[in-house]
Amino acid sequence: MSTLTKNTLTKSNSTISRRRFLKGAGVATGGLVIAVALPANALAQKGIMADNNAELNAFIHLADNGDTTIYCGRCEMGQGISTALPAAVADEMEADWQRVKVKQGDADEKYGPQGTGGSASIRVMYQPMREAGAKAKAMLIAAAAKVWNISPDNCYAKSHLVINIINQQTLTYGDLASLAKNSPVPEKVILKNKSDFNYIGSKLSRHDQDEVIVGKRIYGVDTKLPGLEYAAIIHCPVLGGKLKRLDKTAAMAMKGVTTVIDIPRFNVPFGSIGGVAVVADNSWTAQQAVQKLKIEWDLGENVVYNTKEYKQQLVANVEKPATLATERGDIDNAFSKASHKLQATYTGGHLSHAPMEPNASVVWVQKDSCEVWASTQSPADIQKVLGQYLQREPTDIIVHVAMAGGAFGRKYKCDYVHEAAVISEQTGTPIQLIWSREEDMRTGYYHSINAQHIEASMDEQGNVTGWLHRAAFPSIGTLFNPALVRTPAKNLNDITTHLFGVDNMRVESGDAKAHTRIGWYRAVYAIFYGFAFSTFADELANKVGKDHLSFVNQLYDNNNNKKQQTEIARAKAVLALAADKSAWHSRNNLPKNQGIGLAVHYSFQSFVAMAVHVEVNGDDIKVLNVNCAIDCGQVLNLDGATAQMEGAVVMGMSLALSTEISFKDGAVVNANFHDYPVMRITDMPNVQVHITDSDQPPTGLGEPGVAPFAPALSNAVFAASGKRYRDLPFKPLFA
Amino acid sequence: MDKSIIINGKKHTIDVDGDMPLLWFLRDRLAYTGTKFGCGSGLCGACTVHLNGQAIRSCVTPVSGLADQSITTIEGLSEHGDHPLQQAWLNNNVPQCGYCQAGQIMNAASLLATNAAPTDEEIDSAMQGNICRCGTYQRIKKAISDAADTLAKKA
Repeated sequence: MSTLTKNTLTKSNSTISRRRFLKGAGVATGGLVIAVALPANALAQKGIMADNNAELNAFIHLADNGDTTIYCGRCEMGQGISTALPAAVADEMEADWQRVKVKQGDADEKYGPQGTGGSASIRVMYQPMREAGAKAKAMLIAAAAKVWNISPDNCYAKSHLVINIINQQTLTYGDLASLAKNSPVPEKVILKNKSDFNYIGSKLSRHDQDEVIVGKRIYGVDTKLPGLEYAAIIHCPVLGGKLKRLDKTAAMAMKGVTTVIDIPRFNVPFGSIGGVAVVADNSWTAQQAVQKLKIEWDLGENVVYNTKEYKQQLVANVEKPATLATERGDIDNAFSKASHKLQATYTGGHLSHAPMEPNASVVWVQKDSCEVWASTQSPADIQKVLGQYLQREPTDIIVHVAMAGGAFGRKYKCDYVHEAAVISEQTGTPIQLIWSREEDMRTGYYHSINAQHIEASMDEQGNVTGWLHRAAFPSIGTLFNPALVRTPAKNLNDITTHLFGVDNMRVESGDAKAHTRIGWYRAVYAIFYGFAFSTFADELANKVGKDHLSFVNQLYDNNNNKKQQTEIARAKAVLALAADKSAWHSRNNLPKNQGIGLAVHYSFQSFVAMAVHVEVNGDDIKVLNVNCAIDCGQVLNLDGATAQMEGAVVMGMSLALSTEISFKDGAVVNANFHDYPVMRITDMPNVQVHITDSDQPPTGLGEPGVAPFAPALSNAVFAASGKRYRDLPFKPLFA
Repeated sequence: MDKSIIINGKKHTIDVDGDMPLLWFLRDRLAYTGTKFGCGSGLCGACTVHLNGQAIRSCVTPVSGLADQSITTIEGLSEHGDHPLQQAWLNNNVPQCGYCQAGQIMNAASLLATNAAPTDEEIDSAMQGNICRCGTYQRIKKAISDAADTLAKKA
């Protein structure tokens, strides 16, 4: 286990139990400067607000009046998981959704894995949460059967009632709450058939949107506590740099500033890189005071990092032989017999997640307690890192998972929480640390800058016979092993296992050392794999005079791998659906400057195709319509799934056209939304989402929609204008 | 004499540094947290509130210039969350993460107050300063149109 470096702070070596913590953590009274609303579950934690609900299991509390609370253990950041999963519980429980209140679970292993990423929540938790609901139903039925002195087989549950089949008597869930608590927990339950679903697969509104529209929803940035102090921070602009000299005189002289704190570097994965924080009696003063710090940094070796030159180097590294990752068939033979050959190089830049809520949390470290309120995707990681830092048991770190104002992968890394803990440990007060937008943009975990070079051979009929694919990008693995000079073969599996049928393939990894922190960004590598595969397919189709749809279908049909036939059928089906719903089949009747581009990509176990319809006038690209088709297996919330695809189009459009993080002399050039131009309402096309009705197990929704947009756009612009875009973004601000 | 400001109909003394932007006076001094911090530079619209009914960016508006002025935040837009826009937001399931939506609604309310029947282009033009990273723009447009329809029926 890695250790934390520098720590001038006093450590309390106590390993305290949760019980002792709860006993010791009284709520401060008096001296309130501002109106304070302590989150309800914090009050319950502290035993102030008695929790009279019967806990049927970790996920379900049922009150005597029938009010039902369903806990969501996965983190909510706008992807709708805290509606979709609890609705599945309610469905199996035969609970009335109108009687259900959803609460976000604190960090606790009783909820199962809480790290929320990889579009995995529904895939991982669908079954366990349905079982939790079904078990609760069985316990309620058992309790009712006992009251009536009949067999449970003579009872059934519906709409918050258990019904006696023999005499049609009913007992409400509220009546049964305290009895059901003592029913034996069934080991096995039979889950409902699809035809009996009440909520799964229907259109559900987000459970808390009535709070959102009146400004009452509490996000990570909104937590208020008695005695709260506010902090702002600045980090070294270059990764690996250190603080050399600090003059805090001017900052300390500001009215309202209480202290300036040197934050140590956390030498753990996703740890804070360290910085200088200012504490004040409000956020604005803290942010102003940070500007007045006189800091000299020792910038370190990454000062050599310039993305313009680096990208050129990546291109050079993939346009020459690189390190062999995998190989099948005989590509040299295929190339020597080719009737047609084509090659192309595709690139993409770094991306910043830039959620609307910058990194923010409240942390209160006391002698025998540590409590965190954070927008986070990884509460257990906060427990682990702060437990290690404070030398306490991870379970003694109480983490309240706040609603995140967007995350997109960034808030899986909770460096901002570590920093707030360091500050609070020193001040003894609860600390709200909010990063400025500039810090958020400049101290990120960026999507990999990347280059790919593909060479293909085709026979006379346009069958692809050989495929050479070289990829170079600093991988996420560099976070754990900074010495990696290129992406390991196992991380290039998405190329090797791509569903296109190519018998002869060679995959090579080009050198790409990391000079900044690389992280998951919504859709991750699928962004550039999807772009390269579907754009190159379009170029190949054009080379042999075929249309995209029939060419790609032919590519799929050439895949003889028996294990991939189901996936191929599903990929082809969504591509056909997107094309059919668009004007693809009548595209020749479109005005001359309009075109439709297609793309399909399989990622996070889901299949998404897009048909993008554009109008091109000179350099101006106007996206008119997007038809998106998705097969994600069984859908939980139709409206939520639709919303995720609409959002994926917007994020896909931002990264296709305009967003890129650039580095100069090791530091990020971009500062705020003026030079990181994310898509605005004026560019919004008409988006239609078509969801396949499927009985397959549910798969990813948050990310897979992002990948197909950029290639479909490139293909559409080519169809409309003959101009081919191979570099993301098409219109970089810092060329 | 102390300067004061009216927020959602209630008078508050301006007891902070006059340079402090309204956003932080609302959030950190008065705990009106419905108004959000997004960029600090008037670029994203998350902090939008009304000054005498007009949309302003509270993150770049010093509180000192607002003495005796009337401010409305999302918490004060309607008494029961029943402004036609709020209802249209619910009917269209607009929010994803929801963080920007207070600013979106406040900006849209300012638009409808001066233009009760905006065209699509007018909606775009009025709303282009409000960023939504989740990408709810299509539903925002629809919700504004729906709210305009509701207002037209009431008129």
